[in-house]
Amino acid sequence: MKRAIGQNCGHSMLDTPTNAQSRSDLPWDVIVIGGGVVGCAITRRFALAGVRTLLLEKGSDILSGASKANSAIMHTGFDAPPDSIELACMKAGYNEYLDISGKMNLPTMKCGALVVAWDEAQLAELDGIVEKAHQNGINDVSLIDRQTLRSKEPGLSNGALAAVEVPREFVVDPWSAPLAYLTQAVRAGAEYRFNAEVTGGTFDGTNWHLSTDREVLTCKLVINCTGTKGDYIERICHEPEFEIRPRKGQFLVYDKSAASLINAIILPVPSPTTKGVVLTKTIFGNLLLGPTAEEQPGRENARVDHDVLQQLIETGARILPDLPTHEVTATYAGLRPATQFKDYQISANGDKNWIGVNGIRSTGLTASLGIATYVEQLCAETFGDLIRFEPPKTPFWPKMPSLAQGAERAYQTGDGTEIVCHCEGVTRGDIERALSSEIPAQSLGGLRRRTRVMMGRCNGFYCSARVAELTKGKLTPPLASEGDL
Amino acid sequence: MSSHDYDVAIIGSGPSGIGAATALSEAGIKGIVVFERETEIGGIPRHTHHPSFGLLVFKRPISGPKYIQALRKRCQSVRFETRTTVTTLRKDGYMEIATPKGVKTIRAKHIILATGARETPRHGRLTSGLRPQGITTTGALQQFIYGANMAPFSHPAIVGTELVSFSALWTLRSAGIRPAAMIEESSRITAYRPAALFARLLRVPIYYNSKITQIDGIEKARGLEIEIADGRHETISCDGVIFSGKFVGDNNVARASHLTLNPTTELPLVDQNWVSSDPDISVIGNAVHPADMGDHCYIEGLSAGKTVAEILRDGIEDYEVVEITHDAGIKLAAPSIVRLKRQEETKINISFHVNAPYSGNVTVKLGDEIVHQTSKRCRPARRITLKNVPITEAKGRDKCPIHVSLADI
Repeated sequence: MKRAIGQNCGHSMLDTPTNAQSRSDLPWDVIVIGGGVVGCAITRRFALAGVRTLLLEKGSDILSGASKANSAIMHTGFDAPPDSIELACMKAGYNEYLDISGKMNLPTMKCGALVVAWDEAQLAELDGIVEKAHQNGINDVSLIDRQTLRSKEPGLSNGALAAVEVPREFVVDPWSAPLAYLTQAVRAGAEYRFNAEVTGGTFDGTNWHLSTDREVLTCKLVINCTGTKGDYIERICHEPEFEIRPRKGQFLVYDKSAASLINAIILPVPSPTTKGVVLTKTIFGNLLLGPTAEEQPGRENARVDHDVLQQLIETGARILPDLPTHEVTATYAGLRPATQFKDYQISANGDKNWIGVNGIRSTGLTASLGIATYVEQLCAETFGDLIRFEPPKTPFWPKMPSLAQGAERAYQTGDGTEIVCHCEGVTRGDIERALSSEIPAQSLGGLRRRTRVMMGRCNGFYCSARVAELTKGKLTPPLASEGDL
Repeated sequence: MSSHDYDVAIIGSGPSGIGAATALSEAGIKGIVVFERETEIGGIPRHTHHPSFGLLVFKRPISGPKYIQALRKRCQSVRFETRTTVTTLRKDGYMEIATPKGVKTIRAKHIILATGARETPRHGRLTSGLRPQGITTTGALQQFIYGANMAPFSHPAIVGTELVSFSALWTLRSAGIRPAAMIEESSRITAYRPAALFARLLRVPIYYNSKITQIDGIEKARGLEIEIADGRHETISCDGVIFSGKFVGDNNVARASHLTLNPTTELPLVDQNWVSSDPDISVIGNAVHPADMGDHCYIEGLSAGKTVAEILRDGIEDYEVVEITHDAGIKLAAPSIVRLKRQEETKINISFHVNAPYSGNVTVKLGDEIVHQTSKRCRPARRITLKNVPITEAKGRDKCPIHVSLADI
């Protein structure tokens, strides 16, 4: 029964002949294209302001594109380009996250970051980094010497010369946060469609008519948040001034045993010639190493490459000599929707009721809530009364199940069910709840991100068959062919 | 000091755990419990439904579930607690266990870790490509086919040619699935040669000297690209990939605990009686030497259980610790230390695996003295055992390391 409620939220306009149908003839106020972290945050912002908002996502779950693969760091913006939209959105997004995360039970690991210099050239850069941070208003950023660095991070190799300390760089759960945003939006009246790829659209002077392969949807305003497809979708309205040039980043996730090797996030000194890698704990208790930075023409195929990963391990070992003794539990690649420009490409087309939110590169997780507020203001300034914002009511605050290391998990308190995924401590109850939640998991990826099932060191050796049984008929594509062999 | 909930708590109900429980029970130990995190006991044999167990113990091949049933009958008085996961190991016999009711702390006089081994999956191997569904391991495959009566694919490729790779072949065959190919890095199969005939009989091509350069497919697996040593590239059409073998000890509970690990293998350090660096904890079976046959593990469990009964009775006497080192060509060796009682000679069995095939003498030296030399034919992924290697107390006291070498010396 719970599942039916979840479906209602997602597909009610088509599937159920209830009171929703009477509204289906009305155009939507806003259609947000793209269910990445930015699309989820914007849907939330508009829904909370009483705007009838629909989110369209081409994948089978939110976060099916760039947003599913990042380093999960909540950045202060200390190294962002000064006076950029990016910096403004990051700072606003950062503050709002801290403000609302407690209410939604979203975890934050307050570990801080260290920008570590490994040679004389990098050492010379540190003062400039501190200066820029102060210019960006991050005033607690300071230089620490070699000795202090060693005492803070005894696991680092001897080559570490000094560092810039950024005390308020944090680590978050990159998947629960956007899910919480959309859940709150849905409770405020927004709807969403998965497997709904926008293939085209026409503007009749008043309304947009967007086509997916199943239906035509009408709305007053379109907000394009399609990440790596941003320029393609922008062409539905106009020729974009930017081009998406996807940048691929490959990552390695190490087993939980490795997490104690560091305390803070270890950042590289940025340089135009060498691209360093980040070492950070994840909120789930693993250690993350990456990303590489590779230009690539394709928009979807985020392949990992054995030789590149091997090099990444060597790079990691130069930072943390003990790293290679730990087990790699996952490898992944993410595509950043970078453009030829440094700053975000957020703009409104006043004639055609369209807002493009593009070029949201790796800082999108941090900035998303700030971007949402920025877009709301841009909308009000550009379109006036086209979209009516109501004064905010007291919103519903969804309580997300915390998957963080050290947080109280269902297996610890005991939910009456057995552990199914032993590597990540996921119970049968956890899985059943994710399948019947407000926005239920409809794909394996969605289930993994909601529960962490099959995300551990064994990659499903112990639990995948059991997960296939528990999810029978509920995931597309299914884990296994159903019915008797 | 609080009292103990159990005399012995065994973690893991595979062949080695059952073996230990049986020996302890036969030695008259009463408070024995076996914790199993799955809903059924048995470990890997639980989901290996073809007859690859029992040749040594029952003198006939029997299926995994029947094997476990038969072993279970030998220790009927022992309590098995399923759906119980050990989450934390502490000193003095304390541990935390999670059951459907939540986590609690219990205490045993002695703990035996028999947590077994698992295969190295796709990510641990850093395999290139996309991340579609349908990428699995033999262990998972068996649970799909035999346990859930479901198939994650209809024409997968098998990576590896260890014994377990042919077990994957057998499992698929029982479901009427003919794999697209088997892929082997080296120039011959890792399992015994006749196994290749089994693949040929089933018309499954084996690609030798091959490595995967790409896994293809966005949602579902679509194919594999492989590079063969002579530079040729081939595309294999398949809708899944089974990564078989390359077993690793499932030692995450041990690794997160106070136990000392062998620095080269990252597996818990154990002595000739499987006692770890903490005299209250033993580690047995494939958790310390991934991965040997079920029968070997059961027999080892029996012997370890007997020792633990003695430890419970007599305690561990004053001893010296001698380290066992080995050549780089040896992948792992168990035991990795020897505890020597004062003024005694002891004879130990040393098991090991090799990285590459080797035929010739295997030599054990205690300090400068050769104490054991035998001719062995060694293949990777097979257990080689040196029996009754004499270790004398005098040498032990000098802290001479024991060194295992793949050479005549």
